[in-house]
Amino acid sequence: MPKIETDLLVIGGGATGVGVAWDAALRGFRTVLVEKRDLTHGTTGRYHGLLHSGGRYVVKDPHSAEECIRENRILRKTHAHCIEDTGGFFVVTPEDVNAYPDQFQAACKNLGIPCEEISLRAALQREPLMNPRAARVFVVPDGAADSFQATHSTAQAAQIAGAQILNYHEVVALIPAEGDPARVVGARVRDVARGEDVEIRAALTINAAGAWAGVIARTAGVTVNVIPGKGTMLAANHRLINTVLNRCKMPDDGDIIVPIHTVTVIGTTDEKVQDPEHLTIEPWEVELLLREGDKLIPGISQARFVRAWAGVRPLYQEHYAGASRDATRDFVVLDHAARDGVAGLLTIIGGKWTTFRLMAEKTVDKACEQLGARKPCSTAETPVPGVEHGHYWLGHRLREVEQNHLQSELVCECELVTRAMLENAARNNPTLTLDDLRRDVRLGMGPCQGGFCTYRAAGILHELQVQNSQSKIQDPNTWHVADLQSPARNAKLEIGNWKLGVGTPNLLLRDFLQERWKGLLPILWGRQLKQERLDELIYLALMNADHLPDEDAVSPMSDFYSRRGISTTADTEARDA
Amino acid sequence: MLDLIVIGAGLSGMLAAHTAARAGARVAIVSKGLGALHWSAGTIDALGYFPDEKTPVSSPLAALPMLAPNHPYTLCDAPAAWREFAALTHACGLPYAGANADANLWLPSPAGAARPTWLAPRAQLAGDLARAEPMLIVGVRGMRDFFPELIAENLRKQNHAARAAFVPLEVITARHDSNSVQLAHALDDPARQLKLARELKKIVQRGERIGLPAILGLDNHPNAFQTLEAETGAAIFEIPTLPPSVPGIRLNDALRRELHRLGVRVDVNMDVRGFHADGARIAFVESETSGQPLKHRAEKFLLATGGILGGGIQSDPTGKTWEAVFDLPLTIAPNRGDWFRARFFDPAGHPIFRGGVAVNRVFQPVNAHGAPVYANLWAAGGVLAHADPILERSLEGVAIATGVAAGKFASQA
Repeated sequence: MPKIETDLLVIGGGATGVGVAWDAALRGFRTVLVEKRDLTHGTTGRYHGLLHSGGRYVVKDPHSAEECIRENRILRKTHAHCIEDTGGFFVVTPEDVNAYPDQFQAACKNLGIPCEEISLRAALQREPLMNPRAARVFVVPDGAADSFQATHSTAQAAQIAGAQILNYHEVVALIPAEGDPARVVGARVRDVARGEDVEIRAALTINAAGAWAGVIARTAGVTVNVIPGKGTMLAANHRLINTVLNRCKMPDDGDIIVPIHTVTVIGTTDEKVQDPEHLTIEPWEVELLLREGDKLIPGISQARFVRAWAGVRPLYQEHYAGASRDATRDFVVLDHAARDGVAGLLTIIGGKWTTFRLMAEKTVDKACEQLGARKPCSTAETPVPGVEHGHYWLGHRLREVEQNHLQSELVCECELVTRAMLENAARNNPTLTLDDLRRDVRLGMGPCQGGFCTYRAAGILHELQVQNSQSKIQDPNTWHVADLQSPARNAKLEIGNWKLGVGTPNLLLRDFLQERWKGLLPILWGRQLKQERLDELIYLALMNADHLPDEDAVSPMSDFYSRRGISTTADTEARDA
Repeated sequence: MLDLIVIGAGLSGMLAAHTAARAGARVAIVSKGLGALHWSAGTIDALGYFPDEKTPVSSPLAALPMLAPNHPYTLCDAPAAWREFAALTHACGLPYAGANADANLWLPSPAGAARPTWLAPRAQLAGDLARAEPMLIVGVRGMRDFFPELIAENLRKQNHAARAAFVPLEVITARHDSNSVQLAHALDDPARQLKLARELKKIVQRGERIGLPAILGLDNHPNAFQTLEAETGAAIFEIPTLPPSVPGIRLNDALRRELHRLGVRVDVNMDVRGFHADGARIAFVESETSGQPLKHRAEKFLLATGGILGGGIQSDPTGKTWEAVFDLPLTIAPNRGDWFRARFFDPAGHPIFRGGVAVNRVFQPVNAHGAPVYANLWAAGGVLAHADPILERSLEGVAIATGVAAGKFASQA
C-alpha cells in the first residue's frame, strides 16, 4: 500500500477543507487534502451562491452576522473574481409589515453592516420584476459567489503553497496509533480512480467533511452529532433579477432569490434529514418555493425552471434536538483530545460558505496550538490566483466569445463553453466524469441540461484519449485556474502528451445524462418537459445511447447503477444536486 | 369550402393530408411549425424495442401482433402504410428502402451504437451492419457534431471492422461556424463534391465503405451522393448527426413538394389556439395573428400536432396536462409523481410519454366512454395515447401508419 507522510491531513474538499489546506500550507505545514469525489461535490457545490452581507442573521444570530460582514469584505479582496457584485435588497413585502424591519435596520447599524433604505420607486427601477406592493426596501452589500471557482482558486493557492490536493480519494477509516487507540495518526483512504488504498500518516488529522463529519469521526470511535439540514433550491432559466432579493423577516423557507451566472435561484427549504447521501426533493418543497418566490417576484412560479437540487447544511449544536432551521449557523472547532480523549484529531463543523476562510483560520490556529507551533494566519491578506481579473459579471463570456470570434468553438451554447475551455479543464483539473467538467466550466447547466453538449463533450474527451497516451504531472504553477471559465483566455490549446483519467465515453455520456435527469425530475413540466423530450429523441431515437457497449459497466459516478442498485423515484431524486 | 384541415405539418400531418388529397379531398395544412423530422435521423423507425424488454425487435412485421391491444399499430394496417410511403418516396425522387428480409435494418448511430430502423434513405443503406465490408468513418475536422473516433471504437466493440479518419473543413467550406445544414448546402456545389471525393480517395483503402456525417447536399443531394461513390469507387453511407437533421429536412422537403403537386396548401407559422363547435361538430379553428384570430373553416379536421415534444400536449407545475387545440381528454395521470421513473434510460420508459388522446377504430378522439368527442374530428401521430414512439423506436412508423389511416378515414367519412 502506498504511504504518504505529512503534518496535516485534511478530510473534505469543500470550501472549508480547501480553505484549511490553503491556510495550513501558507503557514508552512506539510498538508495533504483528500476528497472522496470532485472538489465541491458536497454542500459547497450545492448552495444558492449567496455571499452574505450578514443581513439575514442580523436579528436572529448577531454573532454570525458580524462574521459574515467581516468575511464578505475580505473575500471581495482575496477572491474578487469569484464574486459578482450584485448587491442585495431586503424587501418588506405586504405580509412582512411588522416590527421586524425596524429591528433589522437598527441591528445592521449596530453591527456596522451598511444598510440604506431606498424608495420603492428606486428599487423598482433597479429590479422591475420585484413585488411592486413592497412597503420598504433596504440595500445591503450581499453578492453572488461562484463556489466552484472560489474553491478551485483556493485549491490552486494551496497547491502553490505546497499542499497536495487528492480528489477521488475516499476515507476508509481513521488509523489509530499502534498500542494507543486513543490517538489518531492519519487515515487509510481509497484512491477511487485506481481502486487501491493509500495510507496517509499525519501528525494531526482535520475532519472538514461537513455533513459527513459524523461518519468520519465514527471511524475513530468519536461521536459528532451533525444536524443535517437539507436545503432545496430551484433554478429558473433566466436572470430575472440582478440583485439578491431577501425577505425582510426572520429567516424562513423560500425567502431568498439569488441571481447567479445565467440563472435565478430560489432558496431554500430547511429540513432535518437522516443521511446526507439520500436527499429526496419532495413535491411540497417545490410548491413551497414557487409560492414563496411569488411574494418577492410575482409570477416567478410561471417561469421556466431548469433544475432542482438540495444541499445539506452541516449544522452543529452540542446536545441540540430542535428543528434545523433554528440550529445556529455558527461554527465550532472540536478538539477531540479535550472533548473525547482522542488525540490527533480536530473536527471543524457548522458555519456557512461566506465564513469558510474564518473557519479555516480558527481551525489552523487550533492545529498550531496542538502541534506547539506559533505561525500567524495570512489568508485574509493573501489573494488567490485570478483575483487580478476583478469581479466577474454576467456578460463576460458572451463578450469574450464575440470579441474573439469563438462562436464556432462552442461545445455548450447555453453556457458558452468552448472546446478549448473543456479540453484545458479536463487536462489541468483532475477529471473523471463530465460532472467534474460541469463544476469547472458550467457544462450542461443551461436550459437543455446536457441535451447537446453531453454527446459533444464525450466525443471530445474520447478524441483526447485516442490522441494521447502519456501522462502529464499536473503543475499548478504553469496553469491558471482563473482561466477555467474564460473563453478568451482559453483561445489556444496547449500541445503535449497527457493522460485523461476518464472512463469510456459511453459511461461519461450515460452518467452525465443520469446526473442531469436527477435534477430535472422535480421540475419537469411545461417547456422544460418539452425540452426533456427532445433530449430523449436525441439520446434514444437518434443515438440509441441506451444500447451502447459497456452500458452496464461501473464508473466513479455509477453508484446509482451498480453499487446500490435501482430503486424508487424517491431514492433517486435523492442523490442530487 | 375545404373538405379537410390538418393541424400540424409533421410526418403524420403530411401523410394524412397526402392520403386524403389522393382520395380526392380538398385539403390544407395549418401548423405552428415544422415537425420532428428536422430533429430525427431521417429514417423510418417502425419498431426497434418492446418496452420493458432489452431484446430488440428483429422483425416489426412479426412483432406487431404482440403489441398491447390499444397500441395505435393495432388500429391500422401499418405494413401497408409503410409500403405506400416507400412507393411515395420513390415517386418523389428520394427513395427509401429496407433490409431484404422482413427484418429491421441496423445502422450506425452518431454514437456508434447499432440503431434499428425499418426504412432508410438510399444514402444510409450502405451502413447496414449486416454487411461485412470494413467501415472507414470520416469526420470533418472542425465540425462540432460528429465524432468518428467514437463511432469507430463503439462499432469495433460490437465486432464490426471500423476505423476513423478526418478531412479538413476547408475541403467543404471556408466558414468555421457551419452547422450540418450549412455544410450540406455547401456540398450542393459540384466542385466541392469533387474536392471532397479526392480527399476521400486519398484515405480510403480497397474494400472499405465510407461513412460520412449526413451533410451530402440538400437540393443537389442525389448528385453529391453519386459523385462521391463514382469518384472514390467505394460505397458511401451517411450517418445522421445531432439536430438539425439534413436527411430529415430532405424528406420534409420532398413530401412538401409532393403535397404542393397535389394542390395541398401548407401554412406554417399559424399557431392554432382556439376553435368553435356547433354541438358535436367543429365549425372552425382559429390561429393567432397580430390582429384578431384568423378563422379556418372546413368540413372536417384532423389533429396532428404531436405529443409533448411537438407541443400538442401541454403541462403545468400542478400536474395538469391538456391537449392544446381542442382540450380533448388525455390518458395522462394527474400527479407529476407518476410521470417519471428514476433512471433516464429506464427500459420501460417514463409513463407520461405513453399518454395522449385515445381514439376509436376510425381514429376519432373518444371520451372515457369510448364515444367520439366531435363528429368531424380525427387524430394521428404523436398526440395519440398508448405508445411511446421514442422509446419503442417507432416514431416515424407510427406517424406514417396513423397518418395514412386517419387521413383515409377522414376522407371517407
